Parts: sequence; C-alpha cells; structure tokens
Amino acid sequence: MAETFHRVNDRLYQFCIWVSAISIVVMAGIIPWGIFARYVLGTGSRWPEPVAILLMVLFTFLGSAVSYRAGAHIAVAMVTDRLPESVARPLRGVIHLLMLAVALFMLYYGTTLCIGTWNQSIGELPWMPVGLTYTPVPIAGFITTLFVIEVIFFGSQKQRDVITLDHLAEEEPEAV
Amino acid sequence: MDAFVLLGSFGLLIIIGMPVAYAMGLAALIGALWMNIPIGAIMIQIAAGVNKFSLLAIPFFVLAGAIMAEGGMARRLVAFASVLVGFIRGGLSLVNILASTFFGAISGSSMADTASIGSVLIPEMARKGYPRAFATAVTVSGSVQAILIPPSHNAVIYSLAAGGSVSIAALFVAGVLPGLLLGLTLAILCLFIAKKKNFPHGERIPLKNALKICVDALWGLMTMVIILGGILSGVFTATESASIAVLWAFFVTMFIYRDYKWRDLPKLAHRTVKTLSIVMILIGFAAAFGFMMALMQIPQAITGAFTAVSDERWAVLLMMNALLLVLGTLMDMAPLILIMTPILLPVATNLGVDPVHFGMIMMINLGMGLITPPVGAVLFVGSAIAKVPIEEVIKALLPFFGAMLFVLAIVTYVPAISLWLPRVVGV
Repeated sequence: MAETFHRVNDRLYQFCIWVSAISIVVMAGIIPWGIFARYVLGTGSRWPEPVAILLMVLFTFLGSAVSYRAGAHIAVAMVTDRLPESVARPLRGVIHLLMLAVALFMLYYGTTLCIGTWNQSIGELPWMPVGLTYTPVPIAGFITTLFVIEVIFFGSQKQRDVITLDHLAEEEPEAV
Repeated sequence: MDAFVLLGSFGLLIIIGMPVAYAMGLAALIGALWMNIPIGAIMIQIAAGVNKFSLLAIPFFVLAGAIMAEGGMARRLVAFASVLVGFIRGGLSLVNILASTFFGAISGSSMADTASIGSVLIPEMARKGYPRAFATAVTVSGSVQAILIPPSHNAVIYSLAAGGSVSIAALFVAGVLPGLLLGLTLAILCLFIAKKKNFPHGERIPLKNALKICVDALWGLMTMVIILGGILSGVFTATESASIAVLWAFFVTMFIYRDYKWRDLPKLAHRTVKTLSIVMILIGFAAAFGFMMALMQIPQAITGAFTAVSDERWAVLLMMNALLLVLGTLMDMAPLILIMTPILLPVATNLGVDPVHFGMIMMINLGMGLITPPVGAVLFVGSAIAKVPIEEVIKALLPFFGAMLFVLAIVTYVPAISLWLPRVVGV
C-alpha cells in the first residue's frame, strides 16, 4: 500500500516537473514568435502573450509542488537546527499540518476561483475562459496535499531517485 | 493590533521553519480571518500575483543565465579575464573579480556565478599558491556584482514589488555603475592584499591565443548587448529581450561552444523548474501578503515610525541600510525584496529618494546578505566548492565586507552613481 502511494507520487512528481519544464521551453519559444510576427510578418499575433502567461502560472504552481517534495523551498532553518530533537520533531509536525492547510486552501478556493471566473474571457483570446488560466492552482493544491500526506506518514522523500536524478555531480542548494 | 497579527504570525511561522512562500500565504490568510475579509479575496491576489506579463522576464533571464552558466561560459569568461588582467601581481584574484563582472552581464544570479566561476578558479588559485579561504572570499564577494550588473532578475522582482511603477530599463541601466564600482573596489583591495602577501604574477598569453579567447567570450557577452540594446532602442520590451536572450544563450551554447550535451538539457530544464518555481510562488504569495499589509496600512505606519525618529534623509537611509543588512543576514534575497520594498520604498520616496536609487541601495544590502552568516546561500556554496570551513572563509572575507560597506555608503549617499547613467540614456 505504502509502496503504491510512493509510486503514484513519483509519477505525479515526474508529471509536474515535465509539464513545468516543457511550459518554460514553450514560453521561451512563443514570445520570440510574437516579435517575429510583429516585425517580420507585420501581422502582430495576439495569442503569444496570454498563452505564455498561462504557461507561467502552470509551471509556477506545478513547479512549487515539485519543489516542496524535493525540499527546495526557501526556509529559515537557523533556529530549528539548533533545537534539541525532542522540540524540533513536534515543530516539524506542526509545519506539516500548516502546509496541509495551505495546500487544501489552494485546492478548495482555487477550484472556487476557477468556477467563478469560467464565464469570463480574455480580450486577446475570446475562446479562453479566465478560469482556465487559474486551473493550475487547485491542481497544484491537490498534488501538494498528497505530497504533504506522504511526508506526514513516511517522512521526507527528497532522497528518492526521481528527485535526485537531476542533481549536479557537486550538489548545490537550489536558490537564486 | 492588525499589524501585529499579520507580521507576528509571519515571523512565528518563519522561525519554526515553514517555507517562506507558504508562510506569507498563511499569514495573509490569518490576517484576512482576523479582519473578517473573505478568504476568496486572498486566493484572487495569489492567482493574480503570478498572472502578469512583466513577470515573464524573470523565468527568461534565469533560464538564459542557467544555460550560459552550465554551458561552458564560465570557463571562457575566466580565460577572457586572464588575457586582460592575468599578468598583474595577484592576477588570478583580479581575473576572478573581472570574470564575475562579465558573468554579471549574462546572468543576474550570484549563486550561479559562485558555482561556475568558483569551480573553475578556486582550485586554480589554490594550485598557484593562493590560500583557499582567500580564493573563496574573492569569489563570493565578486559574485555580488551579478546582482547589480544588468540583466538582473532581482531588479525585475524589485520593479514588481514597487508596484510596477519603476521601469526595469532604468533599473538595469542604473545597476551598471554601482556594479562596476563594486568590482573596481574589490579589485583594488585584491591588488593591495596581493602586494602585501606577495601573491604570484600570472603569465602573459600570446597574442594569437588571446584573440581567439576574446572572440570566444564575445559570443556570450553579446547577450547583454542584445538585452540592453533591445530595451534601450525600444525594439523589445524587457520581457521580449529576455526571451531573445534565452534563444541566443541556447544558440551559442549548443551550436557555437558545443560542449554541453543534448541529453543533459532535460536535467537543466528540471533544475531550472525548481530554481524558478520557488521564486515565482514567493511572488504569488507575497502579492496576498502585500495586499493585507496595504489594507492594514502598515507601510504608512512604518513611514511614520521612521520619520518620528528622524526626518533627516541621511539618518533614515542609515537606519534603512542597517535594517536591510541585518535582515539580509537572516533571509534570502527574493523574499526580502518582496516583503521590504512595499514597506521601505514609501519611507524613501517620502524623503525624496528616487525609487531607482533606492533599488540599488537595496540590491547591495541584500547582496551582502547572501555572503554573510547565519543565512548566506552564496557563502555556503562557495565554501562547499572550495571545501573550506565557513569560519575560515568568513575570516578571509572581513576586508571584503569593509570594501562592500564602503561601496554601499558611496551608492547610498551619492545618488548620481545610480541615476546619472539612466538620465544620460534617457530611461
């Protein structure tokens, strides 16, 4: 049972990281296309901008779920690192529960936001519902919820093969 | 009391180790519950926070920098810098600083700078007899130039945190002189230390080789020409020029340099997803946090508090510098820009400080924070690459901190260093 849950989460992790990576690559391709259309073709495409923004929202939220499972988010460990394990352990439990609350908030209120804005449309792309651009929020909320539950029951998963696969030979912390 | 609930819960969540982005979101939720504001409003702020065209510049600049950093650019910039200054006494330390100046022109990330320049130059400096701790100190302090010299994605984050009213083009151009001043000051310090400690001269590179090295490096350095040229001529927006920079970086790395393997590209994309999403989600949650701060009129209260202590511009700037330096030692750069800009910028503009100038002050302060303990991501990477204990690097860094404080003071109290160039080019 536990192994199945980990495997499902591994697949979700891979799904999120691939979708996010492809989104970034496509984004980096369609904005120059917009420039090409404007200066060379002289037509001026209206679609690259809203589509690129949709892809950005997609990789931001799916990527943040990935970064949660990989333990890559910026956090201040200065205080907790110095605490005795007897205090640090329950504190970690509190953080997991708070993370669960935020993930469920994204799932529930993200869904509400998508439904509420589904009938509105974007000026440049009349066929695209505004709600569609927000769908990555509840999806990431759902996936993050699963990842948090995994951490609560089975501890940190950041050493799993699917996660360490893309590390450089000499490990560097992820931050900019 | 409202402010206490918002800022207090945020502070508490951070201290117990919750990821900063989610802590901001949760604190905004707690604030909304406290003030009886519908929770849905917070969700709208978060979603709208990452739903902006100008934000697209951030992933593009970071991606272009990542491609260049991993694609053999660092080695070529080091070679280029060696041609220019390698033969002087203490040459390798100057090469290190100058290579970071060049690296800053293709990437805005100090972390990428330290990781790539450091892994080439720290072992090389150690081989030539420089102490490893000194080599690390030169690398990490030099890497702060990347934050100032355009393109800087942190400048884009600042522009966003300032409510989009500060032009990215002006911030980019404004960063040139403070960045060069920092590089020059560090170089002078290195020369001084080299003379005192009798560090070795490097070798002169024969003209034929030198020319080849220069041409090789110029392919990469064209990135900045494309970005700045595009923005300043009005041909591209900042976002568009960033996307062109990605294509250019890809072209140069894969077709000109050709030492990056195609099969490694997915891994590079995966790493970039992690690096980027942690910044982008911060921006989303910071939008909700900023919304609650504005509702609670916290920036106005803080402006009042600062001006109650003193209404002298120099004194308030001094206090803000001290505050930013302290906060910078405790937290990473992007969250601090997002949290502190809406709070401190009104104080600064109230006293007649130009928002572009204030941006530069903030960049230097928080850039120093990246190389100071207890939380100094770039310092940690530098010490890990050099395999030198952090304490030793810190000891070697002391004179460099002095030099950086000097640059900070000059940039703070001589606004022209930040504002002259943007005025000349008319941005």
